[in-house]
Amino acid sequence: MGNATEVKIPKGAQIVDARGLTVYPGLIDPESNFGLTEISADSATNDLEERSDEIMPHMHVGDAFHSETELIPVARLNGVTNAVVAPASGDSVAGQDIFIQLYGSRSQMMLATDVALAMNYGAEQRRRGSGGPGSGRAAYPSTRMGLITELRQNFLDTQDYMAKRDAAAKKDDKAFRRDLKFEALIPYLKGERPVVIGVYESYDVETIMTLAREFHLKVILNHVTQSQDILDEIASYKVPVIIGSIYDAPRADERYDAVYTLPAELAKRGVKIAISSADGGGPASSHSARNLPYAAGFAVAYGLPYDDALKAITLNVADMFGFGDKLGSLDVGKMANVVLANGDPLDVRTDVKQVYIQGIAVPMVSRQTQLRDEYSK
Amino acid sequence: MGSLRRPLRLIVRILPLALLAICAALGRAQQSAPPTDIVFRGATVMTASHGTFEHGSVWVHAGKIAGVGATVDAPSSATTVDATGLWLTPGIIDPHSHSALDGDVNEATIPVTPSMHMIDAFDNRSADLYRALAGGVTTELLLHGSANMIGGQAVVIKNKFGLDRDAMLFPNAPGSIKFASGENPKRVYGSRDQLPSTRMGNFEVMRMAFEDAKHYMADWDAYDAKVKKGDKDAVPPKRDLKLEALADVLRGKLYVQIHCYRADEFLTEEAIAKEYGYKIRAFHHALEMYKVAPQIAADGTAIATFTDWWGFKDEARDAIPWNAVMSMRQGVRVALKSDSDDHIRRLNVEAGKMVHYGGATEDEAIRMVTLNPAWTIGVDDRTGSIDVGKDADLVLWNHDPLSTYARAMKVYIDGDLFFDASLPAGELPISPASCTTAAASAPTTRRTDSDETSGSCNRDCYALCGSRPGARGGYPAPVESRRHHRR
Repeated sequence: MGNATEVKIPKGAQIVDARGLTVYPGLIDPESNFGLTEISADSATNDLEERSDEIMPHMHVGDAFHSETELIPVARLNGVTNAVVAPASGDSVAGQDIFIQLYGSRSQMMLATDVALAMNYGAEQRRRGSGGPGSGRAAYPSTRMGLITELRQNFLDTQDYMAKRDAAAKKDDKAFRRDLKFEALIPYLKGERPVVIGVYESYDVETIMTLAREFHLKVILNHVTQSQDILDEIASYKVPVIIGSIYDAPRADERYDAVYTLPAELAKRGVKIAISSADGGGPASSHSARNLPYAAGFAVAYGLPYDDALKAITLNVADMFGFGDKLGSLDVGKMANVVLANGDPLDVRTDVKQVYIQGIAVPMVSRQTQLRDEYSK
Repeated sequence: MGSLRRPLRLIVRILPLALLAICAALGRAQQSAPPTDIVFRGATVMTASHGTFEHGSVWVHAGKIAGVGATVDAPSSATTVDATGLWLTPGIIDPHSHSALDGDVNEATIPVTPSMHMIDAFDNRSADLYRALAGGVTTELLLHGSANMIGGQAVVIKNKFGLDRDAMLFPNAPGSIKFASGENPKRVYGSRDQLPSTRMGNFEVMRMAFEDAKHYMADWDAYDAKVKKGDKDAVPPKRDLKLEALADVLRGKLYVQIHCYRADEFLTEEAIAKEYGYKIRAFHHALEMYKVAPQIAADGTAIATFTDWWGFKDEARDAIPWNAVMSMRQGVRVALKSDSDDHIRRLNVEAGKMVHYGGATEDEAIRMVTLNPAWTIGVDDRTGSIDVGKDADLVLWNHDPLSTYARAMKVYIDGDLFFDASLPAGELPISPASCTTAAASAPTTRRTDSDETSGSCNRDCYALCGSRPGARGGYPAPVESRRHHRR
């Protein structure tokens, strides 16, 4: 990679004339629900969360991932080549994420399964019996106290299980009964894989971080859009942060741009940030994932340096989820996920011309372009 | 929302009292009326009606646009705003908002409720108005939701956030009425085993209502004719608010705004409108307009559409982001709208997407969030473009407003500054004079309740004091909606 005159080109190579175009690494969405939803209002097409219990680490997104979803080509056309797929946020522990590329067969698309544990903490996870479909009757845990107690007890139970399991293994005890829930939590309690914690309010951030530190979790914070009062403290945690949605409304007593400026404010404090495609007012799903670059552009409008914004939807995401050596930048040896566009990738007016995933020029077609073409005849 | 909210609520309760106490003093101290003449110089002026002037000037006189062009004939006494390097556009207009209604958007107890008036639910203190203002929005049509086939009558506001409720009403704006169709009404009533539970039922509910309205109208016409003939014994029919509103539709007194997604339903709606003799002003959402655009263009109906939302329900499955530009190219007047307390803050960026999806010119794109929504609401003779004689509703941007990077720096409504991005939280740039002037010119200023006055300080003054520098926390008001509205 380098200046056009300097790069050695082997004989027989296909030459793509990209004069006048911008070339940049494929974008990576740090939080999506690709393959878990099709039509938001049609429950039969949704596999977003298992609401029967709050602690569901043994739910594997990889089991439900519907690779043929119409959402993926739509996002791909705007330069999104990779994504983390996570369950929805109704449970304290919702399940385990997968890391995908947005092209190929199902198995090719799932670059890695169980890459991170999806945790959530705050008002939404309480079982108050009034939270809409599936929330059922009020039940434990119906308060934040209950949520934290339940999490702590489950983590302690897992540690207890680990000890017993290890002891049984030493004795070669064939009668030892595996528990799928505790098994699922082990790598995360050992700090081997990241735990993505979705949390909004500053006091909830402080509470859940206390618990996370108690159990030495490898934390990635997610959302934090109502936490402008503790940004220095968040920086002191030395954990990466996914910001989303940048379009969340600020609190009533805050300036109109209190959330818009969040990426800039965290980056200024040395925090490694990612920006997600979550769309504050749009469908709460990845139907709007194609707008990922504009969320990053919006962060630039409100003070984030341009390079930091591009990293927040490419290299930083790859780093957070263990793909920093394979994805997220145009560097020799990395997967050839490359986008060609007719302008600034973060500007809403820019048109993506071609997307390459692992070197393959993917068809620039979605169900939407087909409809467009059919009715343009 | 937990204990942290409580101190805030306390402050909010105490604040009005404190404000009343300092109100008179402040009112006297700050006599800065908005300048009669303002000239913006050196901006890229996007007029929305007649192209763009690089290094253009705009002269505002007494709240109206008095000149626009490469140069203007303003008096030397005019206040000059150096807008070099900035962009100047008409105020953004949202023809489909549910802001500031505290969720009172559907009287979803019966499917035909035309006499419900949005104004009765309008909370002028909502922080969502302030946030929209910060995105350059100067005019909004506050609409009913889509639970009912006929939801009720909308209200048009000018986003003069910080002023009294009535001072925010768009003076003498035409009335609009919201209709709906498709999934929402049939779901709401079908889930209760009531009519309608199908699209057949949806439309029949409308026809039945208009049959009643026709008879009601005929009764009144007969009575009026008798009175005209001098019949002193003529007995007026009983007034019925519901039928009166529907008769207003049949008489063409209300603009009909219809929530409608699917191509077949546009056609059925137009057929029913012709059957009963009214016109449809605009289809809202209108995500499948690209399939039947020439037919709808012939009826003169506009659309107010999302740019790129899709898949949130079955009738939004065939939504494509090229819909707006494809429909425009086939003669449909296209407005973009928010239907969201989130998107209303960045409709300019939504317009920018139209350059990407379908290759709209910048002129066409900016018109979709200014002049075209103004037409949809019926106020295009007063606002929506930078033309001489129109209201001086203007936004100064730091960047091309169609790019991702644009921030509204200053927002003017009727020539007065209502938003200034350089001010800290809780501070608005409202002058006492604008408060008084606006209140005086409001069409339906309510009588001030004597309990709400203290000395020389009435409700308007309170609103004003709440927005003064130093009155931090007074505005934006504590009306909270962190999770944005969903369709």
